[in-house]
Amino acid sequence: MLDRPVTNKTCLAVERLTKRFGALYALNDVSFEVAAGHIHALIGPNGAGKTTFFNLVTGALPADDGRIVFEGEEISDGRPFRRTLKGIARTFQNIRLFPHLSALETVMIGEHCRSYGSIWQALTSAVLQKPFNEAREERRMRENALELLEFFGLAGKHHTKASDLPYGDQRRLEMARALATQPRLLLLDEPSAGMNPHETVELDKLIIRLRDRGITIILVEHDMRLVMDISDRVTVLNFGTKIAEGAPDDIQKNPTVIEAYLGEDVPL
Amino acid sequence: MLGGWIDNYTQSVLIFTGINIIAAYSFFAPFKTGQVSLGQAGFMAVGAYASAVLTQKFGLPFIVSLPVAGLFAGMIGVMVGFPALRIRGVYLLLLTLGFAEIVQVIVLSWDYVGGAQGYRNIPFNPNTLGYVAVVIIALIVFFGRLERASLGRAMDSIHQDETAAEAMGIDVVRIKLFAFGAGAVIAGIAGGLYAHQATYIDSTTFNVMLAIEILTYVVVGGGSTYWGPLAGATALTLLPEFLRALREWLELVPVAWTDFFPMNRIYDFLYGFLDFENAKRLIVYGLILILMMIVRPDGLLTRDSLMRLHFSRWTARHA
Repeated sequence: MLDRPVTNKTCLAVERLTKRFGALYALNDVSFEVAAGHIHALIGPNGAGKTTFFNLVTGALPADDGRIVFEGEEISDGRPFRRTLKGIARTFQNIRLFPHLSALETVMIGEHCRSYGSIWQALTSAVLQKPFNEAREERRMRENALELLEFFGLAGKHHTKASDLPYGDQRRLEMARALATQPRLLLLDEPSAGMNPHETVELDKLIIRLRDRGITIILVEHDMRLVMDISDRVTVLNFGTKIAEGAPDDIQKNPTVIEAYLGEDVPL
Repeated sequence: MLGGWIDNYTQSVLIFTGINIIAAYSFFAPFKTGQVSLGQAGFMAVGAYASAVLTQKFGLPFIVSLPVAGLFAGMIGVMVGFPALRIRGVYLLLLTLGFAEIVQVIVLSWDYVGGAQGYRNIPFNPNTLGYVAVVIIALIVFFGRLERASLGRAMDSIHQDETAAEAMGIDVVRIKLFAFGAGAVIAGIAGGLYAHQATYIDSTTFNVMLAIEILTYVVVGGGSTYWGPLAGATALTLLPEFLRALREWLELVPVAWTDFFPMNRIYDFLYGFLDFENAKRLIVYGLILILMMIVRPDGLLTRDSLMRLHFSRWTARHA
């Protein structure tokens, strides 16, 4: 059993991160650090800028201002796939699977970037394979993928098309696909959305097991029980600004946070 | 080459079917990454004219000019592919259509390649059937291996959700550009084969109608598996030939069977309709397309249906 990695190393640091959509500040001057090996929750009312933050860190959107530093290296520029190669993976708030690929193929997509460094490598491997015989790399990828599917409780569903899976399975398949890219930082965007209470409890354990694998996790989540139970640290955003940060217990007592949530029926 | 045991008519039908199959694969390559191109006829024109110039004006042998023409079309393809990366759907359709129109205007006004008179006296290649067969086999092997390989899967994932594919570490830009360029190379080869079979080409040979026919082959055959373009192009090219044969069989029906109302009317209508020398072909095309979209929107052959036929060991799905 792997023990909690006790370390003071910073995995991700954002400095004065700003993103505008027209006159609206989706993120305004946000700075914080995520310690390696932590589950770091990012909470806030709707429209607080949580998903925008994910899009900036993964490179889906360019930041207007500020720096993103991952493991001591600035990554503010560069297309999303380069950040995945550096070790940042994500899931999507609205599930984005490949509808016609099977669960197994979906996970193998995640492995592609680790198995083939360039398109020419992938092309030669495709062309030079023996007829009717899988390449060795393919077999290795498949075995890896099967292991991941089992880890996420999807064993026996590897032939099922992604779009035919039940909702909770789709969420877990997205996590399996992200994990296949061998990330050191995993961004989970509302992983419990649409899950029933039983599935959410399972999700608790799953996320903790991921952390125990040594993966740093940033969690955007509306389910406060989930957040307060498993997070090591919580950052609260409201209208694009950071309003609080601290341990879960402190955040629950923080008057600013309670005020931000007032009017919303969220038990803190 | 095969003249000894295939008559000229059959040979020419086989050759043009083969060229259509190759053209269908040229559409399939970018389509595998979700790029729908109406420019494949334009790339065919580039390959056809390039190969014709190389053999006729520079005296190169066909076996050299054909791959060079294909690579040249591929270079143009990558150049067109760059702006094509940024746009999708209907806009990509218009961009590729615009490219094909530009090619048409250039060959129409360029006297070096015959201008409005067309390019005449292109050296005839007596072995086209052999070349076509080799190219098709190479394409089937290539796309078959691609479908079983990680790169093919990556292309499928781009087709289905580009944003998610990029987020999973897939180099979407390079793979899309590669697919577009590969499609252009294949189209250029199809064009080169055509030019040295027909020995005459002009600006209208590779027009928009051809581009739409190529698209139809893949849509009808099925764009989700590499057997689709082969099935679609074969079925739709041989369909008129089949209907022509049907017309001949119709003539064998005894007159007494149809010599009364309404059979005489039905007979006359069918006999007239099956005359495929005219534009009725397009009506049949249209009807088939509409029917296909209703009955089998994913095409004749789909990955799922092939899977059910125990082709599964050829794909990455089994575990």
